[in-house]
Amino acid sequence: MEALNSFLTRFGRLMGGLVGTMFQSGREAVDQVWKNILPFLAFVAVIVGIMNGTGLGTWIATLLAPLAGSIWGLLALSLIIGLPVLSPLLGPGAVIAQIIGTLLGTLFANKTLPLSAALPALFAINPQVGCDFIPVGLALGEAEPETVEVGVPAVLFSRMITGPVAVILAFLASLGM
Amino acid sequence: MDWLVQLAQGFIGIFQAGAEWWWAVFVGIVPLVVVLMTAFNAVIAWIGHERIENFGKFASQEGIIFLPFRYLLLPVVSVFVLTNPMAYTMGRFLPEKYKPAFYDAAVSFVHPPLGILPHVNPGELFVWAGIATGVATGYGDAAVTDLAVRYLLVGLVVILIRGIVTERLTAMMWKKASA
Repeated sequence: MEALNSFLTRFGRLMGGLVGTMFQSGREAVDQVWKNILPFLAFVAVIVGIMNGTGLGTWIATLLAPLAGSIWGLLALSLIIGLPVLSPLLGPGAVIAQIIGTLLGTLFANKTLPLSAALPALFAINPQVGCDFIPVGLALGEAEPETVEVGVPAVLFSRMITGPVAVILAFLASLGM
Repeated sequence: MDWLVQLAQGFIGIFQAGAEWWWAVFVGIVPLVVVLMTAFNAVIAWIGHERIENFGKFASQEGIIFLPFRYLLLPVVSVFVLTNPMAYTMGRFLPEKYKPAFYDAAVSFVHPPLGILPHVNPGELFVWAGIATGVATGYGDAAVTDLAVRYLLVGLVVILIRGIVTERLTAMMWKKASA
């Protein structure tokens, strides 16, 4: 009886601990979504609305698509999209990358673009990835406000270098495709 | 009067397009994020913050050998397990000076695996799928698989380079900011 009692007590404590941890985890998760993710989604929704509702997104994409024909064009594309002023604007929801990607896809479908351009193109349309999200991403990593102040320009300027570098790497990696 | 009606329709249309997107993401992704985050928070609690912090500390040591731990292993594991956008929470286990570079490496890895592991970022699948569906039509499915593998591998190299470059830039700007 003694042994059974002590087993039950320990078992009860263990279950209580498990449930407590799960509940606390759920509370933290909902807090994060409520405080960081939903407000951000709301902001992106406005931008997506402007892009999709006015046709601005399609217009920009049509403007940029002809650049995809050559490695130089792709490099130029990655430089333009990676500009620190543009990249945070082009980032939200990866809308621009998805629209240009879909437009370029039609050019691969009718073989206007060679297969070897596909990999560099994937990187050329995307040097802005996450540039709109830097403060939130850093906040999710519990960064101090000073870190955010320094981190935002550091990432933005880094993309001017690493954006074209990625395109060149992809170009080399698609040799033999 | 007609132009006024059209203007009003165009105006509200912009916000309807935004609302449509917001609702799609809210319904499609947020529940998954909440459940994943809850599970992840619990797992962290059970593993113990200490051990994960120790890995963060291990990865944040000076020296070239630790760069791949910080900007390759840590972001890749984070993105595979936690997916976008929860992967960035792993930054909390690194010192402040490495957080921007870690974010840069992690966020740059949310698209390259899409051809093989679409679960990491279903909301932005068309960054990959836009080009991939075109390639499939023009050059066949085998070309798509080839492309998917190469996208992933080049992505690994790119995030390591991004982490290193951003770490240097952060250090330079930190000096300027504190001067």
